[in-house]
Amino acid sequence: MENLRIGVYICMCGTNIAKIVDVEAVAKFASEVPEVVLAKSYKYMCSNPGQEMIIQDIKENNLNRIVVAACSPNMHERTFRSALRIAGLNQYLLEMANIREQCSWVHSDPVEATEKAKALVNAAISRVKLHEELESVSARMCPNVLVIGGGIAGMTAALELADAGNTVYLVEKENHLGGNLARVDLTAPYLYSARDLLTERITRINNNKNIKVFLSSKVTSLTGYIGNFRAVIQNLVSIQEGKTRDTEVEIGNVIVCTGYKEFDASRIVHYGYGKLPNVITSFEFEKMLRAGRIETKEGKTPKYVAIIHCVGSRSQEFHSYCSRVCCMTALKYAHEIKSAIPDCYVSDIYIDMHAFGKGHEDFYRSSSQAKTLFLMYEKGDRPVIHKAGPKDDCGMLIEVNEKLSGETIEIPADLVILMVGMEAREDAYEVARIVNISQDKEGWFIESHPKLEPVATTTDGVFIAGTCVAPKDIPDTVAQARAAAARILARIAKEKIEIDALYSEVNPNLCSGCRLCNLLCPYSAIEFLEDKKQSHIISALCKGCGVCVAACPSSAIKGRHFTDQQILAQVEGLLAEKL
Amino acid sequence: MAIRVNPEFINELDRFGAEDVQLCYQCGDCSTVCPHADEVYRFPRKSMKLLQMGLEQKIETTLEPWLCYYCGQCSEQCPREADPGETMMSLRRWLISKYDFTGISRAFYKSRTVEVLTIIFVAILTGALLLYYGFTNGNIGIYDGEGAFLPSHFVHRFDLSVGAILLVFLLINAFRMWKMVMVRGTNFPVPWWLYIKKFYQLPWHFFTQKRYSECEKKRGHKIYMPWLIHLGLMLGYVTMLVLVMVFVELLQKGPEIRWEVHVFGYLATIGLLAGTIYFIRGRFKKHYIQYKKSHGTDWVFVILLFMIVITGISQHIFHRTGLIEMANITYVIHLMSAVPWLLRMPFTKWAHLVYRPLAMYFASIRREAIERDTAVKELYPLVIK
Ligand SMILES: Cc1cc2nc3c(=O)[nH]c(=O)nc-3n(C[C@H](O)[C@H](O)[C@H](O)COP(=O)(O)OP(=O)(O)OC[C@H]3O[C@@H](n4cnc5c(N)ncnc54)[C@H](O)[C@@H]3O)c2cc1C
Ligand code: SF4
Ligand code: SF4
Ligand code: SF4
Ligand code: SF4
Ligand code: SF4
Repeated sequence: MENLRIGVYICMCGTNIAKIVDVEAVAKFASEVPEVVLAKSYKYMCSNPGQEMIIQDIKENNLNRIVVAACSPNMHERTFRSALRIAGLNQYLLEMANIREQCSWVHSDPVEATEKAKALVNAAISRVKLHEELESVSARMCPNVLVIGGGIAGMTAALELADAGNTVYLVEKENHLGGNLARVDLTAPYLYSARDLLTERITRINNNKNIKVFLSSKVTSLTGYIGNFRAVIQNLVSIQEGKTRDTEVEIGNVIVCTGYKEFDASRIVHYGYGKLPNVITSFEFEKMLRAGRIETKEGKTPKYVAIIHCVGSRSQEFHSYCSRVCCMTALKYAHEIKSAIPDCYVSDIYIDMHAFGKGHEDFYRSSSQAKTLFLMYEKGDRPVIHKAGPKDDCGMLIEVNEKLSGETIEIPADLVILMVGMEAREDAYEVARIVNISQDKEGWFIESHPKLEPVATTTDGVFIAGTCVAPKDIPDTVAQARAAAARILARIAKEKIEIDALYSEVNPNLCSGCRLCNLLCPYSAIEFLEDKKQSHIISALCKGCGVCVAACPSSAIKGRHFTDQQILAQVEGLLAEKL
Repeated sequence: MAIRVNPEFINELDRFGAEDVQLCYQCGDCSTVCPHADEVYRFPRKSMKLLQMGLEQKIETTLEPWLCYYCGQCSEQCPREADPGETMMSLRRWLISKYDFTGISRAFYKSRTVEVLTIIFVAILTGALLLYYGFTNGNIGIYDGEGAFLPSHFVHRFDLSVGAILLVFLLINAFRMWKMVMVRGTNFPVPWWLYIKKFYQLPWHFFTQKRYSECEKKRGHKIYMPWLIHLGLMLGYVTMLVLVMVFVELLQKGPEIRWEVHVFGYLATIGLLAGTIYFIRGRFKKHYIQYKKSHGTDWVFVILLFMIVITGISQHIFHRTGLIEMANITYVIHLMSAVPWLLRMPFTKWAHLVYRPLAMYFASIRREAIERDTAVKELYPLVIK
């Protein structure tokens, strides 16, 4: 057993700690604990002179364990670890006692607070004695990337990565690229053709040797960890033919870009979708626009077109969120209809006009200028569509309690367009399970931080981009795709990934192969080695949460830096009788 | 019962001057700044919406356009440049044409040519009639008394018959207005005695134009200039009308007439002249937002008025300086512009003079009737605070 030489530092944190805790008394107490070589108090331990003091003491006094009694380790553990490193000591030979958040800030009696501080320091000293030198490991970063979904998001990300020289496997379940945008005519608000936006990308992808496109395919499994994943890509056509044609690929990162599907309009019964022939969805109208012929089922040019917003969105019954693109798409229809049929009357029946994006407000204004009739309905009070009578000059009449005027009105219509909202795809759950990410209550994939990490997930190496995260328009979708690609390129550039030393390990001599831990690990970090019939923890995936350590009936799992002995020593130190 | 929207209506209103209604996105800024809007009479925002939807039957029954004095504050405020002030003005024009049973008003608003041709026709007819009378019964060298070219008793009778025609038109139209607004436009009981209780509103608003001054007040102006001019012009006009209708025989007599007639005559002339010049200047300079867009009929109105004032004054001067022949000729020209101008009144902007006080009167009856009617209270939850 090595000769322990412990240094203890009590921080005053200005007066934050010192005004309640008698730091001198604590230092004096610590200096009397066996194996403590020195104990000092100082005004600001985290300051440069504070750190310098630790480094100096380690060198001069040959200290090999350090205890800092100060603030929460969340604040400054990294600071003091780096001081240890500079002094040439392994950074894990440090323990912090939190005598600020857990003591001076929450107590008012100086005597008792000082006693508690002593107990906390004693616990840290007891624990640090059992600390071991640990090394963080590094793993290789495979530069290949798997992109799931070949919509505008997936294609953009794939090109970005491939242009930087990396191999990209682009998996699309349909037999063509483009996703939902391939069903759209012009795009709001600048009226660029969606076809042009897509063909440019598709051509570039087809000509790019770095991108391997798998059409009519799905990813059926993803194993491994960041930098070292293996994925199985299954061809759906061959499945139908009763064969299997699976491809296994090695990748370092994954981007999920599986997009959205449209709301099923027939779920709102009184819009009569599916029953009234001239009540159609926005996508059906896009189809007419792409074909260049706006007409009713009877083949007539409509004189009145009505557009109903928020179909399936912004309602407690269906989806409470706003689908974000349909307002501008509706305005786009008004424009396209007016330019195709100048004497057609367009009514736009909305809840609120969401025109928040760049260029949107101007687009809204120009639709007003074109004499689109805007009518507002109350969220819970949907318009009702009736068939018109024989004397009316229109096919249908829409009854609305118009909110802005307070009048109950009837709007003539030959064609009614329902602005169906966006929904998570049916198989989103399956995708989430395969790549190990979570979904919110509406089925959208969850980012690891909604503000600061919009494209990362809680699984390292798996990113999300585009409308599979939440409804958004093309610019936002493309921005996310490029952001995810940039994150991955930065990692590829480093070539290796650092893995924190705080992971758990299975002792093969003790593991009975019960597989209990395999089921419990929230990060899917435990694999079962079939040949040895034992579990094994992939250190790169393990976050050191300790669930398996506690659960293992054979006590075969050790959480590094959180061993049973270390924790028990800490508890004993805390409860020691004579302080 | 659901009312059917009429998307074509907005195009019709275009011709009455409401060119930018479609731009309104209902933010309500205009109603917030309007000095006259309140919980019962919500305008111009709501009027804009009714107009966009083309709810013709509904707009017909509204009084809101008459409650607006076109101070222009709403138009200055509007973030969409939808020009709500001008829209209210156009609605007034449209309402005048709706109240008018002859269809003349409509024709005038829709085509300036029709209006100008009608005016010329009436002017020539008047001129021909007067000249015929003058040359067959009188002497162009005599202005008043025995053998006069246009003897005052004749002119008086002539004036009275023009006045009678005017009155018939106005009364019929006012009755139609009452029916639209107070019968078809109310779905709540209006007790008859309210008509008596509120009657004072009629002369009060007619003679003070008080609500106009409130526009200036809200702007924070110390001197309510447009209101003063407006009031001066209106009072001048009314005085002159009374003089012409009742005292024309005295007026024509010459220097020996009663001094009161003189004083009133001069005062009225000053009011008319100042007002006319002010308005013409305003329309040229467009320094007030309400003058930014002048409808064709507005121009015809000022030009005619200006002609009347000028010929009236010069005829007076010629008479006093002894240029009797000139005086008689100018008299004919004066009447040639005055008659069409007067006859135009029930069909155009000057019908304001009648409709606006009537509207104020009806509006205050309506307000009280609404407040009284508990059932209707539910429709106007804001009123019962
Ligand atoms: C009617 C309508 C009009 C619109 N108009 C405009 C507009 O004018 N302007 C604008 O900015 N935005 C518009 N949008 C929004 C636009 O469609 C989206 O922003 C954009 O398409 C999102 O692209 P994406 O790649 O995220 O998703 P998607 O287009 O949905 O692409 C996802 C792709 O992933 C594939 N996929 C899904 N699941 C799997 C799986 N498990 N395995 C493999 N592949 C899978 C799908 O087949 C699809 O090809 C409109 C939307 C609608 C509904
Ligand atoms: S974008 Fe507009 S139409 Fe679509 S859900 Fe939101 S508010 Fe409704
Ligand atoms: S500009 Fe701001 S306040 Fe105005 S509508 Fe947009 S989000 Fe709302
Ligand atoms: S410590 Fe947590 S993350 Fe690591 S293997 Fe065990 S359960 Fe999984
Ligand atoms: S301020 Fe303009 S846009 Fe707003 S409600 Fe009034 S007229 Fe409409
Ligand atoms: S012009 Fe003046 S009075 Fe008329 S609606 Fe506008 S703010 Fe009100």
